[in-house]
Amino acid sequence: MQDVILVSPQLFLFITLVFVPLFMALPVLFTDRRSYTDVDVEYIGFDNFTRVFWDDAIAEEYWPALRRTARFTLYNYLMVYVFGLTLALLMYEIGFHSGLFTMIYVPQMLSGLALGFVALMLFSPATGVVNLMLRNLGWMGDPINIKTERGTTMLLPVLVGWRAAGFNLAIFLSGLLTIPKENIEAAVVDGASYLQRLRWIYFPQMVPSFAIATIFCLLGSFQVFDVLVALGGMEANRDAEFLSVVIQRYGFSAQRLALGLVLSIETFVPLTLLAFLLLRLQRRFSYER
Amino acid sequence: MAQSLRTTLEQSPRGIVGSVSRRRRILRGVVVAVIVAYVATTLVPFYFLIVRTFVSTKNSTQLWLWPPPPEEVNLDADIGNFAVFFNLDIQEFKAAFGLSAAEYINPKWSFRRVGEEYGIPEEQLIAYLEPFVRYNGWVVLMADEQFWPALARTAAMTVGGLVGLNVLSILTGTGLAGLRTRFQRTVYNLYLAETAIPFFLILLPQFLLVQGILKLIPGYGDFGSTTRKIAQLMAMVLLYIRGNALSTMIFTSYISSIPRELEESAEIDGASRWQYIRYIQMPLMKVPVASMTVISLVWFWNDFLGPFVYLDLNNTNLLVLIQNYVGEYSTNFQVIYSGVLASVAPLLIVYIIFRRFFVQGAMSGAIKG
Repeated sequence: MQDVILVSPQLFLFITLVFVPLFMALPVLFTDRRSYTDVDVEYIGFDNFTRVFWDDAIAEEYWPALRRTARFTLYNYLMVYVFGLTLALLMYEIGFHSGLFTMIYVPQMLSGLALGFVALMLFSPATGVVNLMLRNLGWMGDPINIKTERGTTMLLPVLVGWRAAGFNLAIFLSGLLTIPKENIEAAVVDGASYLQRLRWIYFPQMVPSFAIATIFCLLGSFQVFDVLVALGGMEANRDAEFLSVVIQRYGFSAQRLALGLVLSIETFVPLTLLAFLLLRLQRRFSYER
Repeated sequence: MAQSLRTTLEQSPRGIVGSVSRRRRILRGVVVAVIVAYVATTLVPFYFLIVRTFVSTKNSTQLWLWPPPPEEVNLDADIGNFAVFFNLDIQEFKAAFGLSAAEYINPKWSFRRVGEEYGIPEEQLIAYLEPFVRYNGWVVLMADEQFWPALARTAAMTVGGLVGLNVLSILTGTGLAGLRTRFQRTVYNLYLAETAIPFFLILLPQFLLVQGILKLIPGYGDFGSTTRKIAQLMAMVLLYIRGNALSTMIFTSYISSIPRELEESAEIDGASRWQYIRYIQMPLMKVPVASMTVISLVWFWNDFLGPFVYLDLNNTNLLVLIQNYVGEYSTNFQVIYSGVLASVAPLLIVYIIFRRFFVQGAMSGAIKG
């Protein structure tokens, strides 16, 4: 009984603010409701769920957005390792330094919106700092433009990776610190090279860290929203239209509420399943002592 | 393998293989240099952010490695052009010099002419216009009467959210520790199930639900009333403290790991449950609270979507305020960059003061994650 009392305050809030809205949203999925003030609502069964496959107008927006989001996620995932793992391995060799760690963590303080503005500051065609620098150094090619598709799917991950560097560094460094020193010292004594140490000692024992970093990256990449708003994704910039933006637009401004809700399920539930699968997979690969 | 995080961190300063061979020392030096170089590069965008707040639209197509030299106010400049380049609000200009708002000032006139026409001494004009020319972004931002209130509101929501979330999550974690009963397991899974629910799915119904409840509060209907403002801010805080999968996982697992022997020996010594909670459990809560705070502090402070949806324009947080400066046709980026820096600075200050807390929280949170 005491447990019930302890748990109730937060549980009450949680159920009211998460599950009640969920049940409010469920019936809407099977209708053609355009907005919450829509009066002419009809039951259309599972129509919404298949729409993304046969309705060309929607397919035109959804699949390219999926493609962009997927590319972005892939490059983002690469950046997790380029920034986080590299820094973790380097820092592991010289010992933890809280001052350096703090400074690496600083970009994490930027909001998504702020990151988008920083991206504009650095990579706008005419006024971007990086472009101006390149021009000053004599480069005559096209300016690097963050507002193109290549910009948002390949360049933005670098910025996102830069921001998340501290976060991923913490994950990988924690993983490294759990490796018993005796294993490593034994390997060194046996003459293993650094790369061999990485392959046979470090990485196998870091599998949980890899799993955590992967899941955060996967879920986070698909939920990216604020950054895209700053890059004009909700206005004219089509190249900044990732899935989150498309879904948001359908739900709020484009008068296609039911469809937006359905799309959010169709997009994010498989993703969550994927994340759980990855967790399971991680257990299989985990190094058992 | 029972090494605590602290001892692990303390032991690592000497590096993994503490050999002092020359080659090792050079290698170590290279690694340090690489990391330091990375840190320097990491901070470069912030440096340019600061510099660009001083670069006016006129100068923005040039690379400035440091703030451009302050310009002199040119009284012969067109008012119209000046207003566009330096974001001068003509209405405020008129108000500052006692002119009625209805008075039409020809944009092609120079400031000198306006001064002659209305008997305004030149020194006064220069004094008024100078900040616009030198610190444009900051001037516009600070002059915005909503800036400091927005900052205060953001701080209030963040602190309220953090305190509430930690307190409630401790309660929940204590109630669920051990996951022995069916009730405990059900509740735990309920929280975990949240990860499967797409946020966009519940966003709108949640908004309608909260609005429905808010409208029941007397006085909420008056736009601009204090009741309305406070009610909205409270709603945001409630949304923050409702708990999620992460908070429940962190606290439940941590409290579960407190050995039963501690509880039992306290009982044997005659302590009541509340004394146990106060003197033994609470001090141990520092670790999960640190992890939760590190994650949530930045999340709450930088929240855009929540305040955008729930708060009136005269009641917003800092980030929404900044986004509102993005114009439909042209954007005063100086203000935006100033705003970005203004939103990051308080976080940085808190971060630097509580650095040890943060580092511990970030690292142990990563392990638990």
